[in-house]
Amino acid sequence: MPNEIHVPSRREAIRAQVQSGGGLAAVFPYHPPRALLRAHGLLPVEVWGPPGRSSSRGDAHLQPYTCSLVRAGLSFLLEGGLDQARVVLVPHGCDSLQGLGSVLLDFVKPAPPVLTCYLPRGDRALDRAFLADELRELDARLAAALGTRPDEAALLAAVEREERADQALGELLEGRARVGLGEEAFYRLVRSREYLPAEDFAALAGRALAAPAASARPARTPLVVSGLVPEPMALLSVLEAAGATVTGDDLACSGRRRYRPTQGPEPFARMSEGMLSGPPDSTRGASVEARLQHLRQLARAAGARGVVFLTLKFCEPELYYLPQLREGLAQDGVRALSLEVDLAEALPAPLVTRLEAFVETLR
Amino acid sequence: MSSLGALRFHASVSLLGRAALRLDRLRTEHKLARMKSAGPHLGPPLMTSGWLKELISRHYLTGRYVRGVRKVAWVTSGAPVEHLKALGYYLMYPENHGAVCGIRRWGERQCLAAEDAGYSRDLCSYARTDFGTVLSGQTPVGRLPPPDLLVCCNNICQTVLYWYQVLAHHFQVPLVLIDTPFLYTEARPHMLAFVRKQIDAAVEVAERTAGRSLAPARLEEVMRLSHEAIGLWLKIMQTGRNRPAPITAFDEFIHMAPIVEMRGEESTVAYYRALLAELEERTRRGVGALQAERKRLLWDNLPIWYRLRPLSESLAARGVALVASTYTNAWGELVERIDPTRPLDSMAEVYLHPILNRGTGHKLATMARMLKEYQADGVLLHSDRSCKPYSVGQMDQQRRLAGELGAPALLLDADHNDPRAYSEEQAENRLQAFLEVLGA
Repeated sequence: MPNEIHVPSRREAIRAQVQSGGGLAAVFPYHPPRALLRAHGLLPVEVWGPPGRSSSRGDAHLQPYTCSLVRAGLSFLLEGGLDQARVVLVPHGCDSLQGLGSVLLDFVKPAPPVLTCYLPRGDRALDRAFLADELRELDARLAAALGTRPDEAALLAAVEREERADQALGELLEGRARVGLGEEAFYRLVRSREYLPAEDFAALAGRALAAPAASARPARTPLVVSGLVPEPMALLSVLEAAGATVTGDDLACSGRRRYRPTQGPEPFARMSEGMLSGPPDSTRGASVEARLQHLRQLARAAGARGVVFLTLKFCEPELYYLPQLREGLAQDGVRALSLEVDLAEALPAPLVTRLEAFVETLR
Repeated sequence: MSSLGALRFHASVSLLGRAALRLDRLRTEHKLARMKSAGPHLGPPLMTSGWLKELISRHYLTGRYVRGVRKVAWVTSGAPVEHLKALGYYLMYPENHGAVCGIRRWGERQCLAAEDAGYSRDLCSYARTDFGTVLSGQTPVGRLPPPDLLVCCNNICQTVLYWYQVLAHHFQVPLVLIDTPFLYTEARPHMLAFVRKQIDAAVEVAERTAGRSLAPARLEEVMRLSHEAIGLWLKIMQTGRNRPAPITAFDEFIHMAPIVEMRGEESTVAYYRALLAELEERTRRGVGALQAERKRLLWDNLPIWYRLRPLSESLAARGVALVASTYTNAWGELVERIDPTRPLDSMAEVYLHPILNRGTGHKLATMARMLKEYQADGVLLHSDRSCKPYSVGQMDQQRRLAGELGAPALLLDADHNDPRAYSEEQAENRLQAFLEVLGA
């Protein structure tokens, strides 16, 4: 039964990797080169906070107007939370992540080597060529740090494994209605892509989709959720209790990672093409039109009449787009609700009330 | 170009406007010549201030009537513009306009107009000032020309990219992005090649929009003028190494406008030559920017535009001169990377390397060098809520400055354009305590 699917926790995935003799890479958002890390024998485990913890250690290095994702991540590192990692990778995703990478390299200097990688903001041929070069450089730095030198066949095999997992993620999001899991449990399954080995995630998603639903769920109000990450996760249960269901996903941690499969003999070109093939993403500076079009499509496909924008406080990539996206959606009769959260905080009561009221207005 | 538009432009800008602004400059110069000091504790005012006022006023006056006469590009402050200048574009800098709004206390009302339209108060106050201007149509400079082209270079922050996407959607005009990989350490060859290719692509779009081709000789000429102006600007700032310093960072914040928005122009070169001559003359005569300079500080980050004057006077009253700033220095320090004979290669090199596109350790090294060169006693670090790339890292930089480098450093919380994020009392208390430690 789908609701009996066991989704391994981050801790379990880490333990399994360490027991098998493999290494870990602590990876900050948003678009990590998972295939490259795997080819070097590292399991990429993403660091989204973690949520609900104090960011006080990080606050000694980063001003309070830096987003909580970055401050919490730095705190976690300083508390020893990433000590098991053989490398820390900070892809360049925004000004806050840029600052984090730089402060780690120049001042904090943690024990595991800190690596960075610049993701181009466009998706032109020259952007893809640049990213391929950037990944080759990262490959060389990983080799220098770890002594590993995966050959082309190993790199290609890793690319294909990740592409199968990306496809499984897409199928899971598409087949949401068939998977008889509650909202929060479903997103625990989806978000296991952040830390499970690609092949394990693909198998898990396949099992969830293959198993028959426990029982037909009552009709629910369909919604699109947009933002970086659905935290606090309890929000999803609130949404479910209010009678809504997420049918369209525009989250940086999931829906915006529906990368397209690639072809060709050159692994870095394929990695680059894949990483830049995802849906329009604020963190890569997509145009307002492209983002609006994407949200409209998600809403139409799901029959959703509402979009919940879940933004982290001080998250500029998300905040800039909001007024124009809301205006564009309103023209289609799609309502929008913006909720601002801080990763360190528990679920605030006013936020629950606003979400419940919003769902009511959509019925 | 319509003949009526051209006629109106020439009448309003080239004839009447030019004459009126020249007259105003003469009046200002006459007034300045009779002033013994620019403030109770300040030295004599800079005579070239009248010329600066004329240059800036002419720039905005041109913008007011330029629509339909020349193509207009809105550009970020760190964007390559020499090809645009060479193609005859009128350039509008929303960040500079934001600073003008800040100085004239329009920042808050423009930010509020943007917030009323749904833009978060947590966004950069320059961006909010710009959105407020665009949405309200109101500005202290009269009127801004709408863009035919937007050029955004993220070598100063990623914020500009989202900001310009909003503008592109609003104005429905092409947006050219020059994406400059952040330099955590040194620039790698593939990064330079990436920027160089984007400059080629940017030239193509600019040519298409302008409806004309870029003349290589004209580009070289613009590049030469840029190079000369940047070199002069660097020398101007370096006069601050003298004791007493003939110019402070507060003056530089005002006098930097031409190097940002008018580089590549003959008039900018002429103006900076005059300013440098005036400062050299002051140095020869031992005239300082302050009446009595006792301590010297370095400033880090953007200015607090709406508090420039009070802060300047408050420090001057204690005999503290801001002898340099990393912010104004950013427009001069790259002069050696410019080679006017290789304009496009040179642009790639220069525009990849601004201080804001480099790591936090590089900024600390820059401050350490400037502390020595300018014989500064400490550092004021403006922790600018609106500028994360400049501010993140300051907490560690402050510790290193005060610890290993022995330079007292103060973090001053504010925002460059939104006065609501500034507490006068708190800032004054912190500043007072810091200056006491410094012995000022």
